[in-house]
Amino acid sequence: MKYMIMTFGSAEAGLATMGKEWMLEMIQFMHNLDDDLRKSGELVSAEGLADGSQAKTVRFENGISVATDGPYAESKESLVGYWIVDVEDEDRALAIASRIVDFVKVPIEVRRVMDAPPDF
Amino acid sequence: MRSDARTEDLLRELAPQVLGALVRRHGQFDMCEDAVQDALLAAAQHWAEQGIPDNPRSWLLTVASRRLVDRWRSEGARRRREETAALLEIPEQGRSAAEHDDTLSLLFLCCHPSLSVSSQLALTLRAVGGLTTAEIASAFLVPEATMAQRISRAKESIRSTGARFELPAKSEQADRLRVVLHVLYLVFNEGYLTSTGPSLNRADLTAEAIRLSGMVHALLPAEGEVAGLLALMLLTEARRAARTLPDGSLVPLDEQRRDLWDRSMIEEGVALLTRTLGTTAVGPYQMQAAIAAVHDEAPSAAETDWPQILALYDVLERVSPGPVVRLNRAVAVAKVHGPRAGLALLGTLDDDERMKRNHRLESVRGHLLELAGDLSAARDSYQRAARMTASLPEQRYLALRAARLA
Repeated sequence: MKYMIMTFGSAEAGLATMGKEWMLEMIQFMHNLDDDLRKSGELVSAEGLADGSQAKTVRFENGISVATDGPYAESKESLVGYWIVDVEDEDRALAIASRIVDFVKVPIEVRRVMDAPPDF
Repeated sequence: MRSDARTEDLLRELAPQVLGALVRRHGQFDMCEDAVQDALLAAAQHWAEQGIPDNPRSWLLTVASRRLVDRWRSEGARRRREETAALLEIPEQGRSAAEHDDTLSLLFLCCHPSLSVSSQLALTLRAVGGLTTAEIASAFLVPEATMAQRISRAKESIRSTGARFELPAKSEQADRLRVVLHVLYLVFNEGYLTSTGPSLNRADLTAEAIRLSGMVHALLPAEGEVAGLLALMLLTEARRAARTLPDGSLVPLDEQRRDLWDRSMIEEGVALLTRTLGTTAVGPYQMQAAIAAVHDEAPSAAETDWPQILALYDVLERVSPGPVVRLNRAVAVAKVHGPRAGLALLGTLDDDERMKRNHRLESVRGHLLELAGDLSAARDSYQRAARMTASLPEQRYLALRAARLA
């Protein structure tokens, strides 16, 4: 079953405020994590997103769709990156997320991808 | 590459036999498996150009043996002795008695209990089903590199656990066979998700599960549950064309166009079941097949023999008790004794931890509440179920169901 593991945040709250040591460790950590998931045959995809401050939001206004600068959510709640993993069960997805949380110390969201067969 | 259907069928049929023969001779399941895949690809190419050889099995065995030697060579000279032995070996003529066991041993190995379920599925489809890694990856909607890694890890753990290429001891065989059947059942289930991949779509997975189950049934004709599983698959697959609309939305059983059901598949499933029932101990697959058969044989939803289905669920719950069986039995109870009786039975599942996160309890409850005329409670149940399911078509179906009652 597939799960999306999502990290949220913004530049102010994240990278920029951390020291050099931590950042180097973080880069190594992410590299190792992706590598492990690739080797275990669980990684479907992983992407990082440009900072939320660079986002545009398309809204329906006065009967038409209009693009405006800025993210939809508060920039500190904006999606930063995600992994999609294909794992044995939810426990395994949570274990992967825990490994990330143990390092980054910020909450991570884990959601099932809709890939289950229907019952009928 | 494998456009010719006859060639493809033949290759897939021969794949486990050739692999079995190779492993029996040399051991080293993982390397033999790679060599056979190479040989299958070579065959698909050569046979398309030059036609199928007189003895395709020998052809494959010879090419696979050569590829095995190539692989040993590339590993260095440490296998010089086996290499020579493999070269001197004359390709098998005819079929040995051990061959019957080879395919089974292969299945038991690929479905080894030490492997994760996803590894069991992938390995079975490749080593026994003869599918390529790319085909399996596309069926499970993951990148090819991910699937390749999964398969190679599975082979690695077979090597490290020291699992042997042989039939399990008599005392273990029933348990091991249960794992094999579960894997085939899951392959079939995966095929339920209607989605199109480039080379192998999910519909082909159900066909593959039926083909492999048919093969196991031919090898173990006296095993009632093998026949039961095969019959269950046939009787379920028969409804495929009626189960979804062209836009992918689901059609529940009682609203399906029965003229779209595949009659010959139903007859095949019913005949198989009739031959099987009563010859061995009753098991869950046989019972589920029997229930599917009652549905399939009803000329219309209204003419369904629900008392018969309820009786079968009673037996099923006895041989294989569990919340999901109880849930399905509640539907039959509702049809026979009224929706309130069904709802009462559902109530016994409310405190069951295993059902806490299962959307089916709420979706069945919604259905029974709707039958009982309690429309607003039915709508709530459908909406709860829609939030809980991990199936997109089912979520849409349930949301639509709720919207209809608004």
